[in-house]
Amino acid sequence: MSTILVAIAGYFLMMLVVRVLTRRPGAQMTLFEFVIVFLMGGVIILATVGHDRSVTNCTIAVMMVGLLHRTVAWAKTKSDTLGAIIDGTPLVLVRDGQVQDEVMHGMRLAKEDVLAASRTKGVHDFNGIQYAILERNGGISIIKREEEPGTGETES
Amino acid sequence: MPDAPEYKPVEDSVPKVDNAVAVGENLSFQRKWWRFERAVWVFFGLIILADVAGAFGRGPVAKAQQQTDSLTLHYERIERTTTPSTMTFQFAPSAIQQGHVHLFVSQSVIKQLGAQRISPQPEQSILSDGGITYTFPATSANALVEISLEPALPGVYHMETGVPGMQPIQARVVVMP
Repeated sequence: MSTILVAIAGYFLMMLVVRVLTRRPGAQMTLFEFVIVFLMGGVIILATVGHDRSVTNCTIAVMMVGLLHRTVAWAKTKSDTLGAIIDGTPLVLVRDGQVQDEVMHGMRLAKEDVLAASRTKGVHDFNGIQYAILERNGGISIIKREEEPGTGETES
Repeated sequence: MPDAPEYKPVEDSVPKVDNAVAVGENLSFQRKWWRFERAVWVFFGLIILADVAGAFGRGPVAKAQQQTDSLTLHYERIERTTTPSTMTFQFAPSAIQQGHVHLFVSQSVIKQLGAQRISPQPEQSILSDGGITYTFPATSANALVEISLEPALPGVYHMETGVPGMQPIQARVVVMP
């Protein structure tokens, strides 16, 4: 019983911490952030299983977290607000070559992060970007300035 | 022969509203979220400061001491579940009678606070009303007895201890999850 309660608490605590860490722990994860996320998971699992390291207890904990995750995923499909709270919304970082400073600052992103994503599309400066979008999964999509109408490309 | 399916060429894969890309951005929500984020980090900071101080156990605020004429008790008023700690009893000379000291501890120390080990080993343990009375041989003043604790469950527990026939010590111990 305590394993289930701690697993539920641990799941939502991790969700909160990862969410307020901004979106960088997603697709833009650096090696250090990768270590941080594993460290947090390791600490949570210690409290979840406690002294009872039996296969039964660990199986219950894994099943509980899996069930929770599936339930939350289902709830997100039913409520856009819940989806926005849990995953956030896409954010425009660059619009028509203009960097959106408020969003960049709020998401703690550097211009180099956007340029790094744009280079993979063959765009070397902000003038070549029509839209740079920080997606909900942490990836940056680049839409190049259109040479002709209808030739926009996206990339995550 | 069935009609061949009709295909339409894709002219633009990016959805647009008013000739601008519709990405689903919600900046007003995001501004609220940034404020919430700041509040959460301030809250986390306060929690960590409180923990360093010992508000959740294992720190200066958690340590406590109570004293009577016969006994001084050092304990932790805030314990943590399944985390070992030590409760120390220091006897005054007045507690030593005929080369022995007697120590009463309530059942809550044994059960809820999870007494694991008592040092030194008592010469005698007698079950009494609501607890156990231990007898130790003692020849010098300031004799020390230690009980190792490891609470199994969180909660708020009341304990009582003392030298039988003398003023008891009562304390409340909070066991954090």
